[in-house]
Amino acid sequence: MDKSIWKFGTREVVYAAIGAALYGVLSWVTNIFPLPSAGNVSFRPAVAVLALFGVAFGPWVGLLSGLVGNTLGDALTGWGLYWNWSVGNGLMGMIPGLAVSMITAYNKPRDMGIGVGWSLGGALVGMAFASLTEMMVSGIDLNTALVGYLTPAFLGNAVIIIILLPILMIAYNSVAGRLGR
Amino acid sequence: MLVTWKYRPRDTFIQRLDPRTRIIMLACMVVAFTVFWDLRVVLPLAALSFALFGLARIEWRDVKRAVLFISAFAIILVIVNAILGARGAPPSVRADVSPVVWQSPEIVIGSWHWAFRITAARIMFMISQLLRFLGMAFMAIPIPYTLDPELYGATFRQLGVPDKPSYSIDLAFRLVPTLARDFGITIDAQRARGYELDKVKGGLFERIRRLAPIIVPVVIQSIVDGEEIIDAMELRGFGVGKRTWTRHLHYRPVDYAIIAVGLVFAVVCTLMGLLQIAADVWLPPLLLSLAG
Repeated sequence: MDKSIWKFGTREVVYAAIGAALYGVLSWVTNIFPLPSAGNVSFRPAVAVLALFGVAFGPWVGLLSGLVGNTLGDALTGWGLYWNWSVGNGLMGMIPGLAVSMITAYNKPRDMGIGVGWSLGGALVGMAFASLTEMMVSGIDLNTALVGYLTPAFLGNAVIIIILLPILMIAYNSVAGRLGR
Repeated sequence: MLVTWKYRPRDTFIQRLDPRTRIIMLACMVVAFTVFWDLRVVLPLAALSFALFGLARIEWRDVKRAVLFISAFAIILVIVNAILGARGAPPSVRADVSPVVWQSPEIVIGSWHWAFRITAARIMFMISQLLRFLGMAFMAIPIPYTLDPELYGATFRQLGVPDKPSYSIDLAFRLVPTLARDFGITIDAQRARGYELDKVKGGLFERIRRLAPIIVPVVIQSIVDGEEIIDAMELRGFGVGKRTWTRHLHYRPVDYAIIAVGLVFAVVCTLMGLLQIAADVWLPPLLLSLAG
């Protein structure tokens, strides 16, 4: 794997902070405005932003955006501090970041497919981590972890990634050249 | 759109503690709660957690929403888990041979018979699980209300997180008011153009896609603005040497005492867990006699 994707310099420090702040604020904003929902599946558009920061700036930026962004969103809404959900969100940003070296143009269907595919993998792994650690933390059954946590969280995030990530990637493509990437 | 932190300065015992002490104590309590199922241990632990929550003296109107939401969520989760089988539970619940306390009328469809049975072990498991869940939540909820957002970066740095990720944490908290303002301006600008965020027409996909006019401008503008922050930091030599922090945290004797107690507590709990002490549900004689 290309080692440069693991670089963590000033650029990564700043974009991790921006990603985290956007993730936290957008999570908070969408708590205020009504959003569509289906059954017990809730939709968090912030997830698409997290995936974009992973896909655009690499795994460290994705990891920190999710990890810090979730903590920040909880600090804004006042829910508390839950390490396993923050780590799960971090993984959800980190895994798309592993695909950063495979992407050459963010507006090409092939590259958008790679971005969406890795982001879906990230959503699955991240939410599975958070849901399955709940078994240890809360002592819930595997069925409850799968039905109550993983399925709604993954489905909701997957829908958001499939719809919004390609739009964000196309928009990002127009500025990517200006960023000296 | 004005973003407001849940944090307020308060002259309380909890807020006088070093933030690192509180993060370490939270971790120790999570370890302790994770080990035990015996109500005789879980109940005092939960009582300690509720007492610490009370000591934080957060105004009820501020914390009401979070407490009610999380409590309702915990109750629903415990009930759903009991119905779905409770196989994540301790041994005596998994291989439940305890007496049945209550049984629903039997449903008969052809040759298929089913009744919901609640056993003594299952009841005690549900009570312990609820207290564990609430105990951990009541340790976690006060953090956003009592930990100064300006201190998150310095706290994690002084807990051993390297300089650069700590600076990302610090910068993220600083960027929040700016980005919240940008979201507010963008929503207003799009509404002025006839954009209807809360329009209910259209399918699910269309309604999610309709969020793009708000998200895209803010995200792309913040990425472009990020270049200015990078330039400013690099011009000041960011990352070439060890950073100094404007806010430096200092432990007081009470912090050392609490951390020492917390760490000893976590180690003892882990050992008890390894030895399977209090790791199973406790069946009170009164409940067993009720079950006959």
